[in-house]
Amino acid sequence: MKWILCLSIGFYLFGGFSRPLFLIGAAIELSYMAMRGTELGRLPLLGPHDTLAFFSTSCALMAIPFLFNKALSSSRRFSVGVSLLAAITGLMALPFPSFNMPMPPILNTLWFELHVALAFFSYALFGIGAILGIMFLLDENRQFLEVQHSAALVGFSFFSASMTSGGIWGYYAWGTYWLWTAKEFWTSILWLYYGTYLHLRLKGSRWERAIAWGGIIGFGVTMFTYLGVSLLMKSSHSF
Amino acid sequence: MFKRIYDNLSSLSLGLWLLCGVMLFLAAGSFLQGEGSIINEVALYDWIREVPLRESWWLWGAIALIALLALNTLLCSIESLRNKWDKGSFLVRIAPQLMHLGFLFIVIAHLQSAYGGFKQSMQVENGSSIKFPDGTDIVFTGFDATYGKMGMATAYSATLECRTGGKALTAVISPNHPFFYKGHGVYIKDIAPPPMKAALVEVHREPGAMMALTGGAVFTIANIILLARRREKTA
Repeated sequence: MKWILCLSIGFYLFGGFSRPLFLIGAAIELSYMAMRGTELGRLPLLGPHDTLAFFSTSCALMAIPFLFNKALSSSRRFSVGVSLLAAITGLMALPFPSFNMPMPPILNTLWFELHVALAFFSYALFGIGAILGIMFLLDENRQFLEVQHSAALVGFSFFSASMTSGGIWGYYAWGTYWLWTAKEFWTSILWLYYGTYLHLRLKGSRWERAIAWGGIIGFGVTMFTYLGVSLLMKSSHSF
Repeated sequence: MFKRIYDNLSSLSLGLWLLCGVMLFLAAGSFLQGEGSIINEVALYDWIREVPLRESWWLWGAIALIALLALNTLLCSIESLRNKWDKGSFLVRIAPQLMHLGFLFIVIAHLQSAYGGFKQSMQVENGSSIKFPDGTDIVFTGFDATYGKMGMATAYSATLECRTGGKALTAVISPNHPFFYKGHGVYIKDIAPPPMKAALVEVHREPGAMMALTGGAVFTIANIILLARRREKTA
């Protein structure tokens, strides 16, 4: 079934030059996720293959409203950027095997699914914010910074809701809404980071380049929180 | 002089620096907490008292900065409300301050849990009981498990009887479905493979849970209000 994912990646690679192709790629990847979900009887959110594919789908889905944003609808750079983001994350999923194991009982709750899905939506929006930051640094178009702020604000909202649902899940599953593990440390760092980033705007127009860089570095922190911590550090959230 | 101190304490710049400092301390903590750490095994207040400073310095640093950040958040919110009280929509004015309030609730929740939290693990068998200080007995009366094709437990549960004041209440606990009694939760963590009839259970007390939930809810709702108002403004 991985060929369906490969097909969607192919469409993404050409999607940078044609929005309909990007949308077809997103629809194919969404179908792949739906098929995985049907096969497993749950949302495919366990293991590196499924989470990376979910992340890639989230990037594509979250990018769609931005592709039709007035400030970005004619920008080739933006469509190439989001297409690459969705394609690269999809490609990263391919080498990993897709596990068909049943959901461990501790993860078998709506709070867990909500927690993870919302986190990936926010990661995708932080990725889009990074692309917009690069675009601002190249073109100095302030509209890009406005849209970057919107992407980060919506991403921050999803992330806050993810942390709240994660806390509720943790309380019912582990007996505590908080554990001092590497993932929780970095989740808090990411939350505080975007809190800081959103406040930077209040410093005025002299900080515009710093804000653009903030969005780019933020995605680096996001990727470390997601992949770096899971692969390099011991945590209850590790793959 | 007091005005200068107040202005500094309520300034955005101080808040940003403090946030950076907290992030650095937490990043250090993430690398210092190895596998052998017992930080999750005891209440945080006990952990910080028991371990040497070379292991806990990052937490002391983070606590000190978070305390200052809480004060800065409070003063910054007061200043913001004072300056913008008669400007713009009420919801736009109040939503960021509600988010600040949510953050403060979460800080208070962590303090409550750090001080009054409790956790104990134990293995229980048929007939084992957990005795509470008020004389209540929680007696385990049965265990059940379903195994999947790979031999992994796909579902498991324990039946317990809460005997208190001459009454007995029966409940079934399973992963994500604990039993709560007077602020304590009884959680099933694992079950022994057949033919053994035993399970690993934990008793937790998390006094900050409700405050954390309130903080999270206030923060998220205010965030949604802010987003909705911003959307209306840009539409």
